Amino acid sequence: MTSTVTDQTTRTLVMPPQRNRPRPRRAAIGRDRSVVRGVGLVLLWVFVVLNVAWMVWMVIQAFRDTRSILADPWGLPTSLDPVNFVTAWTVGDFATATMNSVVTTIVSSFLTVAIAAPAAYYLSRVENRLTSSLTMYFVLGLGIPAQVIVIPLFVMLNEVYLTDSLIGLNLVYIGVSMPFTVFLLTAFFRSLPLEMEEAAALDGTTAFGTFWRITLPLAKGGILTAFVLQVISHWNETLLALTLLQSTEKYTLPVALISFIQQQTYSGADWGGLFAGLCIVVLPMLVIYLWLGRRLTEGLTLGMGK
Amino acid sequence: MTEVAVPPAAVRVALTGRRGGGSTIDRARRRLFVPFVGPAFILYSILFVVPALYAVWISFNKWAGAGPMDFVGFGNYVRLFSDKLFLRSFGNTLLLLFVVGLAIFVIAFALTLVLRDMAGKKIARSVIFFPHLVNAMIFGVLAGFIFNPGGLVNTLLAAFGVTDPPPWLSQDNLFPLIMVMMTWITTGYFTTILMAGVDRIPPYYYEDCALAGANAFQRLRYVILPLTWDVFGTCAVLWTISSVKIFEIIWIFGGSSGAGMPPTQTWTTAVYTYVTAFSGESVPAYGAASASAVLSLALVSVLVLLLRRVMKREAIEF
Repeated sequence: MTSTVTDQTTRTLVMPPQRNRPRPRRAAIGRDRSVVRGVGLVLLWVFVVLNVAWMVWMVIQAFRDTRSILADPWGLPTSLDPVNFVTAWTVGDFATATMNSVVTTIVSSFLTVAIAAPAAYYLSRVENRLTSSLTMYFVLGLGIPAQVIVIPLFVMLNEVYLTDSLIGLNLVYIGVSMPFTVFLLTAFFRSLPLEMEEAAALDGTTAFGTFWRITLPLAKGGILTAFVLQVISHWNETLLALTLLQSTEKYTLPVALISFIQQQTYSGADWGGLFAGLCIVVLPMLVIYLWLGRRLTEGLTLGMGK
Repeated sequence: MTEVAVPPAAVRVALTGRRGGGSTIDRARRRLFVPFVGPAFILYSILFVVPALYAVWISFNKWAGAGPMDFVGFGNYVRLFSDKLFLRSFGNTLLLLFVVGLAIFVIAFALTLVLRDMAGKKIARSVIFFPHLVNAMIFGVLAGFIFNPGGLVNTLLAAFGVTDPPPWLSQDNLFPLIMVMMTWITTGYFTTILMAGVDRIPPYYYEDCALAGANAFQRLRYVILPLTWDVFGTCAVLWTISSVKIFEIIWIFGGSSGAGMPPTQTWTTAVYTYVTAFSGESVPAYGAASASAVLSLALVSVLVLLLRRVMKREAIEF
């Protein structure tokens, strides 16, 4: 072992490898050219292409009618007539569902962040036994699966007439999102420099003023990330909405989609309309991702390594 | 070789030192406790913690949702373990947790190693992350089109001369398909997290490896693995928590498959809980449903504690 190592080391040091084409320095060190790696690369790109392909395929099919989709699933649309979207919007009642989803998502995400941010700020700035056990108390919620609370929530909300109500659903979303948002924002506030806050406090700013005028503007990025992550999770949330909402005019998009699919069992399949429905659920997420992609992945992976 | 993994003098920000802040500031801050933490605490307690505790209580009772509760102690749990349907659902949850989990980790780690220094890494990374942001239900619905008798897969296979493809969407084949789908849509997310860990490894370790003549395997064994170990632990915990919740992809898998309820072969504990309580076809058994949910919570807790113990190592600062 030792001899080979010294051997190679000397060789590398003494005789820099002669190459025909100039290569970047890093590449010479980090990269292996092996068959395994080649296969890996091919598989990776296949995976990447598949991840784009399903979406492209879904959007294409949304512009075709059911019969031609069934006849040839690989075909292209003959026109860009959004007839399927119109059907989904009117017959499938996706219009109401989209409205409900948009309002619920935005209101609940906004309130979640508005309520979680001060708590996270406090927990990140004041360190004593109480705050560390409170942080723990919030974090514990991360491990509780939604199906545990769905029955009690239904019973409890029923008592106060908040089942089948978007207000009830909003409240539930806010409560359920607390652990993640507090956790994320606590980690985020901890990463901010303290000097400006201290300076503000020395200048006589009140504790609240420091939070409101110094920390919040500094934390804009993190708060936006937290907000958008909540938008994504509330937009996609299915189990709680399915349980708590019963009447069609209250449905959010995922529930409307499920009911649309179940109707088709009786009324014959309308694949075209269904594809349009899928697009309405997926494409807003794509827009958000294209807009804020990097920040979202960072938000979802920050705090994770800690 | 081992000394490669030993980090240079750990640079550590002494957090405690930074938080001194002066007692006046601290005292002023402490007055914000009730208005700042109060609302979050109350909402979270009422809408999350109380329901969770209430679920434990319900699971000890026989209850149809209305009328009196009937205390039965561990009766619901005992009954669950003699219920074939529940055992099957529980088995499926375990399959998702362990088999899909293992597949995801192997693939994600392999992808990470390939992604680490390839051209177009940013694009590839962004693309494979996206499925995490999409409702898993969508993939369940799409699977119905991809695998139906005249669907994408079969027409593709026909082009290669396969005339007798398996009945993908038959009830017994659905669950394996769900497992494959779950692997597909989750791998990208975990790859991103692992990548974040691998990216933190400073390049001079690799340079040192090259100088020491370490081969790819040795580099993996002595540098990459030890330095990303904690990220692996986090990923395992995340997957444990999220795999137990899997519901919507199963609820709708394969599109409109019939009676508005998935075939029992594909149930997980989450589906079992939902159906037992809300199917509307029989008298709702809130007790049994809660017991099933509490069992999945117990599964999560035990596994997370175990993982923390197993993955616990001297944290390497670098």
